Amino acid sequence: MSNIEVTITVNGTKHHLTVGPKERLLDTLRERLHLTGTKEGCGVGECGACTVILDGEAVHSCLILTAQADGSEVLTVEGLEKEGQLHPLQEAFIKHHAVQCGFCTPGMLMSAKALLDKNPNPTREEIKTAIEGNLCRCTGYEQIIEAIESAVEGR
Amino acid sequence: MIDYEFLKAHSLNEALDYLGSREGVKVIAGGTDLLVDIRKENARAKGFKYLLDISGLKELKFIEERKDCVAIGALSTHTMLVESLVINKHFPLLASAAKTIGSTQIRNRGTVGGNINNASPAADLLSPLIALKAHVKLRTLNGERELPLDEFLAGPYRTNRQSDEIMTEVYVPLLGEGYFTNFQKIGRRKAMNIARLNLAVVLGIKDDTVFDPRIVPGAATAYPIRFVKAEEAIAGKRISEIDPTEIGERASEEMISATGVRWSTPYKRIALASLVKRALETIFTEGKADE
Amino acid sequence: MFSTVNKPAERVDAYEKVTGRAKYGADLQFAGMLYGKVLRAKHPSARIKNINVEKARAIPGVWAVMTAQDVFCNEIGVIIQDQQVLAKERIYYIGDGVAMVAAESLEIAAKALEAIEVEYEEIEGIFDPLVSKESDPIHPERASNEVVHHKLRKGNVDEGFAGSDVIIEREYETQFVEHSYIEPEAVVAVPHENGSLVTIYGSVQNVFATRDAVARCLKADLSKVRVVQNHVGGCFGGKDEVVSAMACRAALLALKTGKPVKMVNTREESILESYKRHPYKMKYKVGATKDGKLMAMEIEAIADGGAYACQTPFVTWRSVVQATGPYEVPNVKTDTYGYYTNNVYTGAMRGYGSPQVIFANESLMDELAQELGITPLEIRLKNILKNGSVTASGQKLDRHEVSLAEVMKKAAEAIGYEEKYKEYSKPQRGDKRRGIGMAISFRGCSLGAEAVDAAGTVLSIQKDGSVYLYSGLAENGQGLKTAFCQIAAEELGIEMKHITFLEANTLISPDSGSTVASRSTLVGGNSVMRAAENAKRALSRFLAEEFGLPSSDLVFKENWIYTPDGKKLISFAEAAKKAFWAGVQLSHVGWYVAPSIHWDEEEGRGNPYFTYVYGCQIAEVEVDMGTGEVTVLNMAAAHDVGRAINPEMLKGQIYGGVMMGLGYGIMEEVETDEGYIANTNFDEYIIPTPKDMPNIIPIIVENPDPDGPFGAKSIGEPALELGAAAIANAIAQATGRRIRSLPLNLERVLLGYPLKKGRGRK
Repeated sequence: MSNIEVTITVNGTKHHLTVGPKERLLDTLRERLHLTGTKEGCGVGECGACTVILDGEAVHSCLILTAQADGSEVLTVEGLEKEGQLHPLQEAFIKHHAVQCGFCTPGMLMSAKALLDKNPNPTREEIKTAIEGNLCRCTGYEQIIEAIESAVEGR
Repeated sequence: MIDYEFLKAHSLNEALDYLGSREGVKVIAGGTDLLVDIRKENARAKGFKYLLDISGLKELKFIEERKDCVAIGALSTHTMLVESLVINKHFPLLASAAKTIGSTQIRNRGTVGGNINNASPAADLLSPLIALKAHVKLRTLNGERELPLDEFLAGPYRTNRQSDEIMTEVYVPLLGEGYFTNFQKIGRRKAMNIARLNLAVVLGIKDDTVFDPRIVPGAATAYPIRFVKAEEAIAGKRISEIDPTEIGERASEEMISATGVRWSTPYKRIALASLVKRALETIFTEGKADE
Repeated sequence: MFSTVNKPAERVDAYEKVTGRAKYGADLQFAGMLYGKVLRAKHPSARIKNINVEKARAIPGVWAVMTAQDVFCNEIGVIIQDQQVLAKERIYYIGDGVAMVAAESLEIAAKALEAIEVEYEEIEGIFDPLVSKESDPIHPERASNEVVHHKLRKGNVDEGFAGSDVIIEREYETQFVEHSYIEPEAVVAVPHENGSLVTIYGSVQNVFATRDAVARCLKADLSKVRVVQNHVGGCFGGKDEVVSAMACRAALLALKTGKPVKMVNTREESILESYKRHPYKMKYKVGATKDGKLMAMEIEAIADGGAYACQTPFVTWRSVVQATGPYEVPNVKTDTYGYYTNNVYTGAMRGYGSPQVIFANESLMDELAQELGITPLEIRLKNILKNGSVTASGQKLDRHEVSLAEVMKKAAEAIGYEEKYKEYSKPQRGDKRRGIGMAISFRGCSLGAEAVDAAGTVLSIQKDGSVYLYSGLAENGQGLKTAFCQIAAEELGIEMKHITFLEANTLISPDSGSTVASRSTLVGGNSVMRAAENAKRALSRFLAEEFGLPSSDLVFKENWIYTPDGKKLISFAEAAKKAFWAGVQLSHVGWYVAPSIHWDEEEGRGNPYFTYVYGCQIAEVEVDMGTGEVTVLNMAAAHDVGRAINPEMLKGQIYGGVMMGLGYGIMEEVETDEGYIANTNFDEYIIPTPKDMPNIIPIIVENPDPDGPFGAKSIGEPALELGAAAIANAIAQATGRRIRSLPLNLERVLLGYPLKKGRGRK
């Protein structure tokens, strides 16, 4: 099996990497770049704990081979805080008790950010659709939705 | 363990060249079905030496309104279908169906071509596309062919694609005046469902009479097909003469004669009949309202 | 009234979690770390005839391949030590580990597993507890397949039935359920670190039980094994024995290779291997007068204990105590049993033997009401426990407010129960029909008479006035760290930001038993208070001497310390500094032992729990009669928690518990077929998504408990145990048909009976 050269930009930093054909974007982020904020919960695109934003869209990083992402831009949860300032979504999650065990939190934040970047004024139903691929076993979702609602501009 | 070489196609020709010149090439686009199959080491994901990535072929990512059809590039994502003004204008049931696939993350990656070529019996785009009489275009390095979607499908997870072909486009003929459409899906929860059953119905109404009906259940038979007997029972009939409940039952009988009695039959017989009944009731109400 | 407690303080660990900094087991990296993987059984019941590891050992990058032969002590278990670390001669269930490897990468480890050759001889397995009850023992060292039998006796049921006007008998059944914590099990074992033989880091629910298991397995002193809990991505009771076994395996590999070994389960491995919620088969017989007064109940509940005993003895004990429901029943005969089978083993899961019996007895109440021609509300109001009532176990409830009527009333008002019940009782036309159903419970708090129920906390005041807390109990995500900090802050009169909660670490935290049974706030919280009280006393005595005060009864509030008559004395921080330099002891242990309770196994009665949480959940559903789809529209959840230490976190527990109960009720089921598990990932084991949420109305009721810290009791399990029963009752009204098995999925709801899948093995 031969390796593949890729260039991907993660949280604004360009990386030139040599990856194996089976390496998932999730593995590259966690093991090569040591960005362990993105989690693996199932590996089959069901739980959403691995959600990152790829070229502006929320995706399951467990279902993307890094070799496919050559030339792409990736945003992970580590890229939300800027110079000590939390992103409004992160602050909202803290304020609204949207975090319990925290394992689904990075994925939820990325799905929420992808939504607000595309649709700055979503309805509750649209918020639910944006996170319908992010499973949470602790919170029952209510406070997560309240947090996202509160982060919408003007609310 | 499944091992393979990774190949990336930078153009359609390069992709066709790989397919034409090598054996054991599997094509990957969005990867949302294939990578799961590989992980589970499903039989249908075994026995390939090369994984050919076509996800970068932007030339296959489009939705265009043409003179008498809408052309959908095979790499159009489900999200594109959901958001497309063209699709929502001409084929709202296709947008509805696409919206029920997976989750937002899955829809951002999953493609129309992938959904068709994976050919799952429960694929949510197959039943509406067949009901819309869609055609598909397949290309090789040296040529191309076009055929109706229902002839392209060959069985559960099986198609008539030749090993050197790539699907490039799907054509959905525009519906003329007087057509109505309906899509329903039953799932075990309210999101991220593989269809327990789905149903696409397209039919025309003129002078209170049904014409050109297409009834296509999904996850009911080995692969989605037109239920011609149920269609015959309503074609040319006046709406007032049609008993949706009865047609629902006919459709269930048609399903059972295709599949035989299975463990799931007691459930599907009732549920499919319900879906068909509702599709007709909804459409007939819309049809009356339009007058 | 309070400054910090009873307020929605922000979680102390939220910053780490929202920035992705929080490290969970799989995130840890150590120099030279190897990856451990386990080869699991091919059959659920078999004899191992031969294992050949030579080819695997020869693969470059493989550092160790081990089997049961290499394990010093192969049997672990919290109650009965029958759980194999690795299968020695027998396979007892499909998730048994047969061999394990440590290699330089996951890929090499996977290749090594493929190279291990195992020869099996299949033995016919038993997959139904009713069959194993009558069969030869699955475990050769046991006399029979009975894991345990509990009984509860009150009065004389024959007389009770003789005096009844109406008697009904029903059978109910529940399913295997997977905890589905989003983080799969993960540990890293590091050899020879910090004076320990081995240190285990990771997703550990109970650091002390895991330490006990590893020490036993390695034949080492407890003090030589250190277990440190990282951030845990959810437990719900599920990361106890399975993680202990994983820790033993990783420890063995670490000591063999001399290197840190990381073991992380894939989701498939997690579902195959980890213990599940017990499926129950239950028989209920109830007699009542024609006015609806309960006269007698006879109950038999049989739990599938699976391959290993695990927590079956304690889970079934809770069931025997609570099986009647929260009602005054003068004559009761309850027997609960656990039997071994070759199914996946079963153990603790949020609820712990209560959701099953609540589904049964709350369905039964509605069925009885229907027989008698009265409403579900009426039959409950006629029979619920009140202040001074005597429970089925013979315990008089006179130490706390028995608030069943209150929680029922509040839940009913919030959701409009009475009007809706009337409305939905009328004949409904159309395909979409509605129903409303209620379920109530009394939940014994904490461990009860199952075990020593004590907990300790160390509270250490630093010389700048900041405070450390080390508790023996663990943060599973429920908010324990925050709640304990709130309690400490309230007691010491300082702001929460000055308090740091340290991770559960067996080297420094007092052994406080498991973080289970919804006991943390109650028992653990009390130990925090004791520690704070002890610290305050030491500080006060010192200050009284320093300032020449007549009494050391000082008041701690708003970061200051005051004399009893309100004179500002000194800031907390200054006091700490002074005290430190004067050599005053500022680290104090608070130890709390739960009030004395007792249970007579022989007689089947006693005072099993020292207090109870009363709860009522009401579900409003819409059923699609043509497809079997159920939509839960609204859910009111009223719980008397004594005192809400953190009302927002408490609501979070209610929302989460309601959703878990919903999953239990209508969609979740581990599908087993002759011991094989068919649905091993989240694409096929389905749990609720955001779109499945009903409108949830959480109602916090507070009748402070005399024993709880600031009156607090529990919420974790009370919030979960009622949902399925309430939904089942609602569906029964909507469809006009009673289904007595869970989950109430598409097939059961549409057809009225379960459809057995004709699936091949995987």
